[in-house]
Amino acid sequence: MDAFLANLFNGLSWGMLLFLISIGLTIIFGVMGVLNFAHGSLFMLGAYLCMQFVRWTGSFWTGLLLGPPLVAAVAVAIERFFLRPLYGRDVSLQLLLTFGLMLFLDDGVRLIWGAAYHVVQPPDALSGSVAIFSQSYPLYRLFLVVLGPLVGLALWAFFSFTLWGKLLRAAAMDRQMAEIVGVRVPVLFTAVFAFGAWLAAVGGALAAPHQSVGPAMGERIIIESFIVVVIGGMGSFPGAFVGALILGLLNSFGTTFFPQVQMALPYILLAAILLTRPRGLFGAES
Amino acid sequence: MRKEGLLRVLVLLVVSLFFFAGGGQAADKPVKIGFAYIMSGPFATYGQFAKQGAELAIEEVNAKGGILGRKVEAYFEDTAGKPDVGIRVIRKHVFENGADVVMGIDSSGVAAAVAPVMTELKTPLIITHAATPDVTGSKCNRYTFRVSLNINQNIAMAAAIAADMKVKTWTTAGPDYSFGHQSWEYFQTYLSRKKPDAVFLPQAEVAFSPAATTDFSSYITKIMNSKADGVLISLWGGNLIDFVRQAVDMGFFDGKREILMTLGAATEVLYALKEKMPTGIWVGTRYWFLANDTPVNKAFVDAYVKRYNVYPSYNAHGAYAAVKAYAAAAEKVKAVDKEKIVEGLRGLSLELPVGKITIRPEDHQAVTDGVWGKTAADPKYPIRVLQPIRKFTGAEITPPVAETGCKMN
Repeated sequence: MDAFLANLFNGLSWGMLLFLISIGLTIIFGVMGVLNFAHGSLFMLGAYLCMQFVRWTGSFWTGLLLGPPLVAAVAVAIERFFLRPLYGRDVSLQLLLTFGLMLFLDDGVRLIWGAAYHVVQPPDALSGSVAIFSQSYPLYRLFLVVLGPLVGLALWAFFSFTLWGKLLRAAAMDRQMAEIVGVRVPVLFTAVFAFGAWLAAVGGALAAPHQSVGPAMGERIIIESFIVVVIGGMGSFPGAFVGALILGLLNSFGTTFFPQVQMALPYILLAAILLTRPRGLFGAES
Repeated sequence: MRKEGLLRVLVLLVVSLFFFAGGGQAADKPVKIGFAYIMSGPFATYGQFAKQGAELAIEEVNAKGGILGRKVEAYFEDTAGKPDVGIRVIRKHVFENGADVVMGIDSSGVAAAVAPVMTELKTPLIITHAATPDVTGSKCNRYTFRVSLNINQNIAMAAAIAADMKVKTWTTAGPDYSFGHQSWEYFQTYLSRKKPDAVFLPQAEVAFSPAATTDFSSYITKIMNSKADGVLISLWGGNLIDFVRQAVDMGFFDGKREILMTLGAATEVLYALKEKMPTGIWVGTRYWFLANDTPVNKAFVDAYVKRYNVYPSYNAHGAYAAVKAYAAAAEKVKAVDKEKIVEGLRGLSLELPVGKITIRPEDHQAVTDGVWGKTAADPKYPIRVLQPIRKFTGAEITPPVAETGCKMN
């Protein structure tokens, strides 16, 4: 029972981080049609900036609050000056650009902060652990488990009830039609890209207290996020949530019960989904 | 007249071409060392430390007039920890940079891929970090040398310490590639020799994690819920840092199990973890800056701290040692010719900060002393130090040549 609960929480907390990254990835893809390879680097940048603010102010919350908007500002510049000239051109150009950005950002943080690993302490209020039956479990991880669904709920409300949310969904469904009825699509695109980047950076800032901050920390998570997005359905919002949970749980229970194939499990699932439901679990039929 | 001028230019060109490309005997031509380390990704700080150690050694050699009167020049390349990239950068060193010798290699995977290529490149390679027994065992060859400890030597020490513990059942947490698996295999072999009743968990119940893992919670949970009361941890670098931090939070270090970290005393790791590193844990290393009182070690540590403001790691020492070994070999044979250097390195003995090492001529593995110790807090140091320290001589931890499987050709 203890082991089961511990595995459950392990899987859920990792899944929630995956969810934050995947949701940005899937929104950007759904609305803009851009596969953003640099998304993992924005996650990493969020972690580094959070760490920098923690160093300056000593408060994790300041880092969580101030870091991600800065990443969003970087994203605005990326969209405005690099991505925009490529809309409507060959998709491979976008892939090349975002891949290049990833390399550029990875090396950029190394120039600024060096190659060493950095450690961010969790905030005092969340740094202890709680007893679950006979075992103790870190409070910070439980915080992540709770936070994930809250963020999901907030996003769902945003997409369902606010004007901006509706505009986003409209543009995602039919870009041309949205433009015809007067939606300023270029501004919307910038906003979407920045929003996705902000979510990734929040994920990075939240990841900082439980893993070391270092260059290339985005590499693992971007690969798993792509799997999440494909499993859940490209551009699907509930798909990202379910996909992230599946992958997180597969990771934790797989380690215990199928250690020999654990590494391959996400890919096996990916292949199975692509064969049976090529559009993903929640993908819209065209 | 014009023709003559043209001819003059042509002669000049040919002569200069010959001088730059072919020459090689000119006294002012520098000795070129190509270094190949991990400079990017989650293990990049190992490359940084190695670079510092290499630069310090080269500066010292050059200050004393270089090698046989020739200045030493360094080239650094990033292997990214990937075997294919490793082979590429080694080739680049030899063909483009014109390296007289290649040094470095962090990952065992890269080392195993690169070593066989050296016979083709006919260039000496001095490994300073990668620990796979294969490169001085089944894949040993004329051009491949190692000045640092290998897995067998390190695990022999782990087994000696484990034999004194009251542990019934052992498990492991290690990286899911050859290094982690070989560490676990040798640990079982060596400990069983000393303690025939030692029990080891089967393969499906131990915890091997992919190198890209950042969340170790499921592995930690698995070990904590197993019946093992002893854990051999062969994780290193960023993996080890993440593991320790998450394990601390999950109550892994609650005293209910004995722990051996084969590479826990890497200063790269200790600086990142600082007081988050639990005390009273047995940790191993290939070099510990406080383990040796010799003047050579003191001078090295002082110069290193003065220049870089941190204590040298074992990887910094490895790079430093390789440069010094190369210089000593060149002085011994009075040449930097690649074939002669091979002869010079064979059987070479020299005094290093780690102590006296001897490169065995039969398998090219250095017989070098090793250190394990228990982590302890000391207000004089910004990082955890080792207290007590347990030193092992090279002779007692190095397996005999017959056991290595090396057939030198």
